[in-house]
Amino acid sequence: MGSASAAPVVELADVRKTYYVGGVVEAMAGVSLSLDAGSYTAVMGPSGSGKSTLLNLVGGLDTPDEGRVTVDGRDLSTASEDELAAVRGTDVGFVFQTFNLMPRLTAVENVALPLVFDGWGRADRTERARELLEDVGLGDRLSHLPTELSGGQRQRVAIARALATDPAIILADEPTGNVDTETGDRIMALLGELHADGHTILLVTHERRIAEHAERIVHVRDGTIERIEDLGDR
Amino acid sequence: MNPREAVSMAVRSIRSHRLRSVLTVLGIVIGIASVVTFATFGASVEAEVLGDLEGSGANNVYVFASPEDDDGFDRAVQPLFTAYDVNQIRDIDGVRAVVPQGIVQVSAVTHGNETVARQQVTATVPETFSNGSTVAGRPFELGAAEAVVNEEAATGFRENLSVGDELRLELSDGGARNVTVVGIVNGTAGELPVGGFGQQPRIYVPADPFYRTVVESPTVGVNQLAYPQVTVVADPARTEAVEQSVAAYLANESDAGQLKSDDVELVARTSGDFAEQIGDVIGQITRFVTGIAVIALVVGAIGIANIMLVSVTERTREIGIMKAVGARNRDVMQLFLFEAALLGLAGSAVGVPLGLVVGWAATRYAEVSFALAPVWMALAVAVGVLVGVVSGLYPAWRAARVDPIDALRHE
Repeated sequence: MGSASAAPVVELADVRKTYYVGGVVEAMAGVSLSLDAGSYTAVMGPSGSGKSTLLNLVGGLDTPDEGRVTVDGRDLSTASEDELAAVRGTDVGFVFQTFNLMPRLTAVENVALPLVFDGWGRADRTERARELLEDVGLGDRLSHLPTELSGGQRQRVAIARALATDPAIILADEPTGNVDTETGDRIMALLGELHADGHTILLVTHERRIAEHAERIVHVRDGTIERIEDLGDR
Repeated sequence: MNPREAVSMAVRSIRSHRLRSVLTVLGIVIGIASVVTFATFGASVEAEVLGDLEGSGANNVYVFASPEDDDGFDRAVQPLFTAYDVNQIRDIDGVRAVVPQGIVQVSAVTHGNETVARQQVTATVPETFSNGSTVAGRPFELGAAEAVVNEEAATGFRENLSVGDELRLELSDGGARNVTVVGIVNGTAGELPVGGFGQQPRIYVPADPFYRTVVESPTVGVNQLAYPQVTVVADPARTEAVEQSVAAYLANESDAGQLKSDDVELVARTSGDFAEQIGDVIGQITRFVTGIAVIALVVGAIGIANIMLVSVTERTREIGIMKAVGARNRDVMQLFLFEAALLGLAGSAVGVPLGLVVGWAATRYAEVSFALAPVWMALAVAVGVLVGVVSGLYPAWRAARVDPIDALRHE
């Protein structure tokens, strides 16, 4: 485990979640897990194992049917829609496999988008977005549209966006799934830097090589945690 | 989210689909423009007609017989008002003059060596010229072989009539009379204020000796001259009191009341009454036609709703992204509502001036002066925005309820 003394920033207690997609799919069948502040956790499992559901529950995109999900002391299972929106906007930052950038917004505008909903003024958020894009090495792509950027560049814009409101937790769902290996390594290096800066990172992947960037690997299968593999401090 | 941000994002989204937005707005433009056009044209016609009425003797009370089931102003043909009635009305408090008016049938009017076929001339009294519209000469005198013509009649001959000219009237009973034109006028007190635009040519002759229609007065018991129409010129401050007194006299004591058949009623009306009645009719027509134009507006609204629904489906993924980075349901709702409202506002902004231009052109065509209908215009703008908001409500609500997880998976 990471630093055993650190308080858990995320806690799942016996979480259950069932979907009805043509039949009953038990995506979470009683999962308990806690993430310490500043830890780096990878979730691995075959597709359909429930690893994305886990990420969505922690990120406030979804709520559990049963059990509790606590993020930064806030119980998401009883949170209102607005509270969930606030969690998504300020407590966590998402990085998706398909980038999920707004197609008609420039890089700066995409990075600034969370700040719009957080009530920032135009000048402030543009300044903040510019700094973040410079930090991820895209200082020369500020007013490019997503279609004018490569896959790796798009993912770096997405990472900059995830950092816009300075959330404690970064949630990455297959962040290297749509980029080549070399670019993937740079993305993982960037996540490593964020970890070093003190962010709590939860990474979902099906690639062992990518998962090994974390401090521990949570193996899930059929909605339950199979085992937790400790890789030690990195 | 700050509303200014929402507006700027909505503008951006509208501009990114230029053609689609223009076509959607066009529906609203047509609706708003139609409403404004018809409302403006109606207001212009109403102002024109009422203006005409106000110009002609606001202190006159017009007395005539009218079929009971008819709102009309015409048919003042039955000679019901006897000389006795005329004298009685003249004695009512506040009455300045009483102008009886009747018809003398003629077959032709000759001026010099030019003969014009005519059906009738108007027999009346000199007081009818007391309204200050004499253009040349003087009123005729009762008992004299004199005539007064209006300007339309004066110019109706090849050689314009002027004061001092001789006219020869071929009476329909076979006789003929020579009269001297002593005056030219532009309108008389005795005329009903509803002749419409443009005056008919008229020749006025003294009731004595030209008017011959008599009935037996039930009150006095002897034959008296009887007129189909009487105009009461009232003290301007007491027009309404006079109207009421005249109406009461007609209902209770008059010869006319006893002579009339059951299916007509005796009416005393001021030009204000006429104005009100005509205004009502024009108002009804305007509202009806404008109501039809509102249908166009509804069609435009459906266009907005349709395009917003398409837009929500198209942008499901974007809605998901916005929610994933912290947008609340009401932020998303606000975005889509503002977009719909902006489309409506743009429709109004173009539709109102367009409607005014078309309405103005219509008033030119109909030769009435242009009058604005500011209430309708404000209403049109408000309706435009409202139409946008209302037609955007459901799509916006749908957008707000989009599940972010599904939305992010949406291709």
